[in-house]
Amino acid sequence: MTHNQDKIIGTGSIILISLMILSLPVAAYRYINGLGAISNLSDAYPWGFWISFDLFCGVALASGAFVVAAAVEIFGGKTMKPLLRPAILTGFLGYILVGTALMVDLGQYHRIWYLTWSWNLHSPLFEVGWCVMLYLTVLALEFAPVVLEKFKLEVPLKIFKRVSIVFIIAGITLSTMHQSSLGTMLLIIQGKLHPLWHTQILPILFLNTAIAAGIAMVIFESTLTMKIFKRPAETRAQGTLAKGLPWVLGIYFIIRIVDLTIQGRVGMMFDGSRESIWFIIEMLIGTIIPFFYFLNKSVLKSTPAMFIGSLFVLAGLVFNRFIVSWFGILVPETASYSPHIMEIMISAGIVSGGIMAFYLISRFFPVISEEH
Amino acid sequence: MTNHWIDFKNADCILVMGSNPASNHPVAFKWIQKALENGAKLICVDPRFTQTAAKADIYAPLRSGTDIAFLGGMIKYIVDNNLYFEEYVRDYTNASFLVNPGFKMPGDNEGVFSGLTGTKTKEGFVSGTYDKASWSFQMNADGTVKNDPTMQDPNCVLQLLGKHFSRYTPEKVEQITGTPKDKLLEIYKTYGATGKAGKAGTELYAMGWTQHTVGVQNIRSMAIIQLLLGNMGIAGGGVNAMRGESNVQGSTDHGLLFHILPGYLQTPAAALPTLAAYNEKNTPQTKELQSANWWANKPKYMASLLRAFYDQGLPLEDAYALMPKIDDGVNYSWLTIFDKMYKGQFSGFFAWGQNPACSGANANKVRQSLTKLKWMVNVNLFANETGDFWQGPGMKPEEIDTEVFMLPCAASMEKEGSISNSGRWMQWRYKAVDSPGEAMPDGEIISALYHEVRRLYETEGGAYPDPILKLTWNYGKHFDSHAVAKEINGYFLEDREIKGVLYKKGTLVPSFAFLQDDGSTSSGNWLYCNSYTEDGNKAARRGTEDPSGIGLFPDWAWAWPVNRRIIYNRASVDKNGAPWAPNKPVIQWNATKKAWSGDVPDGGWPPLADTEKGMKPFIMKTAGVAHIFGPGLVDGPFPEHYEPLECPIDKNLMSPQMVNPAVKRWETDGVPELDLRASCDPRFPFVCSTYRVSEHWQTGVMTRWTPWLLEMQPEMFVEMSHELAQLKEIQNGERVTVTSARGEVEAVAIVTLRIKPLTIDGGTIHQVGIPWHYGWRYPDPKFKELRSANLLTPNIGDPNTMIPESKAFMVNVVKKEVKR
Amino acid sequence: MKNSSFLIDLTKCTGCRSCQVACKQWNELPAERTVNTGSYQNPLLLSSQTWTLIKFDEFEKQGKMHWLFTKIGCMHCEQPACVSICPVGALQKTESGAVIYNKNVCIGCRYCMIACPFHIPTFEWKKAFPFIKKCTFCFDRLAEGQKPACVCACPTGAITFGTRNDMINKAHGLINKRSNTYNPHLYGEKEVGGTAVMVLAPRDVAFSDLGFPKLSERPLPTWTWNALKFVPSQIVLVSAAMAFFYWLTKRKMKKKDADKEVQHDA
Repeated sequence: MTHNQDKIIGTGSIILISLMILSLPVAAYRYINGLGAISNLSDAYPWGFWISFDLFCGVALASGAFVVAAAVEIFGGKTMKPLLRPAILTGFLGYILVGTALMVDLGQYHRIWYLTWSWNLHSPLFEVGWCVMLYLTVLALEFAPVVLEKFKLEVPLKIFKRVSIVFIIAGITLSTMHQSSLGTMLLIIQGKLHPLWHTQILPILFLNTAIAAGIAMVIFESTLTMKIFKRPAETRAQGTLAKGLPWVLGIYFIIRIVDLTIQGRVGMMFDGSRESIWFIIEMLIGTIIPFFYFLNKSVLKSTPAMFIGSLFVLAGLVFNRFIVSWFGILVPETASYSPHIMEIMISAGIVSGGIMAFYLISRFFPVISEEH
Repeated sequence: MTNHWIDFKNADCILVMGSNPASNHPVAFKWIQKALENGAKLICVDPRFTQTAAKADIYAPLRSGTDIAFLGGMIKYIVDNNLYFEEYVRDYTNASFLVNPGFKMPGDNEGVFSGLTGTKTKEGFVSGTYDKASWSFQMNADGTVKNDPTMQDPNCVLQLLGKHFSRYTPEKVEQITGTPKDKLLEIYKTYGATGKAGKAGTELYAMGWTQHTVGVQNIRSMAIIQLLLGNMGIAGGGVNAMRGESNVQGSTDHGLLFHILPGYLQTPAAALPTLAAYNEKNTPQTKELQSANWWANKPKYMASLLRAFYDQGLPLEDAYALMPKIDDGVNYSWLTIFDKMYKGQFSGFFAWGQNPACSGANANKVRQSLTKLKWMVNVNLFANETGDFWQGPGMKPEEIDTEVFMLPCAASMEKEGSISNSGRWMQWRYKAVDSPGEAMPDGEIISALYHEVRRLYETEGGAYPDPILKLTWNYGKHFDSHAVAKEINGYFLEDREIKGVLYKKGTLVPSFAFLQDDGSTSSGNWLYCNSYTEDGNKAARRGTEDPSGIGLFPDWAWAWPVNRRIIYNRASVDKNGAPWAPNKPVIQWNATKKAWSGDVPDGGWPPLADTEKGMKPFIMKTAGVAHIFGPGLVDGPFPEHYEPLECPIDKNLMSPQMVNPAVKRWETDGVPELDLRASCDPRFPFVCSTYRVSEHWQTGVMTRWTPWLLEMQPEMFVEMSHELAQLKEIQNGERVTVTSARGEVEAVAIVTLRIKPLTIDGGTIHQVGIPWHYGWRYPDPKFKELRSANLLTPNIGDPNTMIPESKAFMVNVVKKEVKR
Repeated sequence: MKNSSFLIDLTKCTGCRSCQVACKQWNELPAERTVNTGSYQNPLLLSSQTWTLIKFDEFEKQGKMHWLFTKIGCMHCEQPACVSICPVGALQKTESGAVIYNKNVCIGCRYCMIACPFHIPTFEWKKAFPFIKKCTFCFDRLAEGQKPACVCACPTGAITFGTRNDMINKAHGLINKRSNTYNPHLYGEKEVGGTAVMVLAPRDVAFSDLGFPKLSERPLPTWTWNALKFVPSQIVLVSAAMAFFYWLTKRKMKKKDADKEVQHDA
């Protein structure tokens, strides 16, 4: 529990709340006049900024929850415990943000629940949808103890503590399923997605990068949170978590290169095309540089250093998700798309809402630990 | 056409020149496609690479207005290489006839034929009229024409033809037309191959040939080629005009043009005050052996026509006296109408199912002419540029005194009646839906007008009521299409016995062979006599059997004359009645049965070999043979290349005579401020042609108002080559202005590979093309944009038909400065 | 008719666009307000109001001028990508061959638009409750024993309709009989596992010249299924692995606590 005497609404909050408020009339306009009224989406570009950022990036960035949960609860990494509740909160809010974004992006948003009775077992999006619905429930249950603690409901708390492992295992299973299935979603566009990215093992690559992004996001979020709440940084916890990064990134690099080699696409990496340059940038920034960076023991002892390192991983992840869901997809020559300012406003409003919620909940609920 | 749409499938070679069937007769392209599937070759010659060219085996570009040069080269090739069908040419055409030695041809007569009296125009060439006395044949003492069956005599038609077209060498033709020499020879050879017996070549033309000052001679050139190759009267052959309107064939058949009465009878002239004089002047006589000279029956048809108007209560001569007459030497055609209208000589005008403000050449002159009227009646489905001329671009409504009445009329599916297609098929249509609002069928409007005019004459009198008051009008108070159709077929007005059979009064006449010249029969159009008989309405038949195998479908609807599907079909057999093409016979003589099988023969007489009863095939010609030498036209018995009135070069490479000398000029008696022209003028350096698109029709009065069609072709455009676009710095899709001496239009530029600059006499000539479907009235009437192609076209016409030269005139194209 | 197909013979198409109008008329689709962009092609692209159109392509190849007219629209694949990935199963491949869309379950996620290798499904961007629109195979006409509207309207027989086998045989018959006229390849016979709409092109024109994508014969849904089929085992394996590691960790902690206690006791 933070004993923060600062005013609740500071400059940061004003900015965030303004962004939230500004997005409301934009959303209303969408609901009255259709998706075309507030976006530059078209038949040639049916998915754009929202799907790339709010869905593909959003889900990957929320994966800190299951990674830290596994590290702490399954593998006994007690030093990382202080990171667990914030990670779960980040995950929970992250998935709610994804859902909110879908409420704007989906044509028939009121029918999102149709997934429960109109099934297509061959559809990766069906699986993602179900997993996300179930995982949100699991995350809520994993976060319940925070609320119960606040209101000092001892008996339910005890029950939760007893069964929490079931939720945690379910959460990890569900997460591996949908993080990889987001990659499965892009298998169908073989021929349309550039061959430097399309491969049958996309699900594995997606899971891999999601784990790396989750770790990076936890480091990122924890650094900022402690700063804002004027608390000492959780350097030791962060350092322990970050130790896994070179492993995750290294495995990713190897799998990716071997896969491209088997498919005879090594030459493509260096053919000087626009896509080859993207590939090199993505690998450098997202994988190679952070791999070596996080091998350095002194980095693991410095929160600012780890923060910078996490930015690289996050940038690489975001770039990768944007490429596979937008930039790297073949479209008719005459088509073009760049997001309308109103699309950005919607996403900005949603993300601001998430940050505000994180801040307020962290402020008034036992999310950030007191112990050191 | 001489043949019909389905017959195209029988051709071995299809020449498309002067038309674009893939775009403008798309349903007919099915039959062209069938010919191609059977191995036929499609040749397309056009200034542009059109949708037809996209399907063709051979495409050749051509400068608009130089078709005679092109075809003349083909005639020379056929004659020089002996590709002509000798037996056919000798026996079925006038190729062997000896022409008067006094006849002179353009090759050694300053570019004109003998007999021209005229004046030199300011441009330096002769303009006048021909006295055709020298265009005549040498005669025998017995009144028959002298001929040389060996066709070697230097004065015989074939030799004169060869001599005349000897000047049309491939090199000369290439210089004039811009068509590369190798393409010329390839086409001449391919098409010339149809001269063999058993091979058929067909030619498909439309306005691309007719809308020139040498329009009729364009078609004459092809007729000569078809006769040389023996392609007339056979399956897959013919000279086939693809009409530009679904019922324009019907309109010309029923005499809607000023110079003809229904059935192509001459309109009575003022110089012929009696029926006897009329018959004397207009009925041809011949002494030729084995010539049916079918027009000798004209008095029967004229008498029957008069009886369709005025029944037996009026003697024939009195009926003739009531007919309007045309004054001698006066032309009443479209161009003249609007010229006189401008000069204030018309108080009223019925614009009936037409849109002259957009369809008339030199449309500015037409639009100005309309302002001089006291009243106008606009009968149409939709508002158009003509009915609303007074609020068009540049008009000042407060200065215009014309009272305009709009009579909305029914569309074709909202009324019952017939339509006659290009193949001469009269096809009955039924009413599918009621018209909206107050719209009425045209027939109903005419009926109402008649009854009211009659009533006014009866109650108030007038200058000359008799022609109306004495009319026989047996159709009742309301229009009855069946009653009219029957009247057109005709009735026996009294009991008659013919060849042992009694026909009672009131019986429908079986065919025109039964029509009488004494006023005892009526027929509103002798050609259609046989279409609605005691056997019923033949135009409504829908039988799908085709025993012939060549697509005749004799039980589907009805064709004139007497359901003959391919006319001149007696030329499809030899002297003994055996078909030239045994695998595609049109008719065939059965010697034992002494009868013809197949199509209705063009005269049921035995074959030519029967010297007593046999007849030559071209029965509508006085001598029974087809005209290679054609003295009946006003501008020459042979076609000769002349430049269009507005052209890009300053001399005619073929002769010193620049333009067709017989063309009517408007300089002296036209409207100087509107009858403007600019030839070889640096202000207007590009050759322009007009054409159509599949999606729109005529001036777009119906199609611009149809959203699904407007969506596909929304705006006026001008097609030009990349080279021209570069020259004028025009981008594809950019708005430009096209100007001629007479006006300007705004259009979107379509820069295309399908038009290329041509080399004409060593220099580069650019061509552009525009569709004529657009006008300011819809869509976006408030912008009052100039969009009608005819604002640019010249009001100068073919001397025989007065069809305007909309296919070759000079323009300029510039980027549009101001955006809308 | 079961398993029906279209055969579009581009050698016969004259670009008259009767098919474009017939489709609009039968489906009562509104016209779009268009401008001339420097081509006869209009509208330029498929949309929620235009389910088929004729593309106009002009080019010169080996000294010969070509002006090609190509009908585009849903290919009604035999193993449709769109059908396989729609989360609510709004798209179905029917027995008749049609790939049909059920607007009653569609959630408007537009995954089908991303999945289609031919870029076909279009969306109602201006509607508050937008649906996917595309060629319906005139499924409703088939139910009444009628042929699709475009087939009936085409004057030259460029569009014909029959069972898939008949159309394949017909196409190969044409290719063999008039080898000078036809490109020997029948597009859609095998691409992505075959499509119900198959196309013949003129001889010296490549399908890629006309905008048809070069596709392998492998049906696209197999890519997805190769991954999804592992999901059940993934659930079992991950849960089991996590349970196992948890048990291991718990055992280690018990041992540590026991050691601590022993130390404490000692």
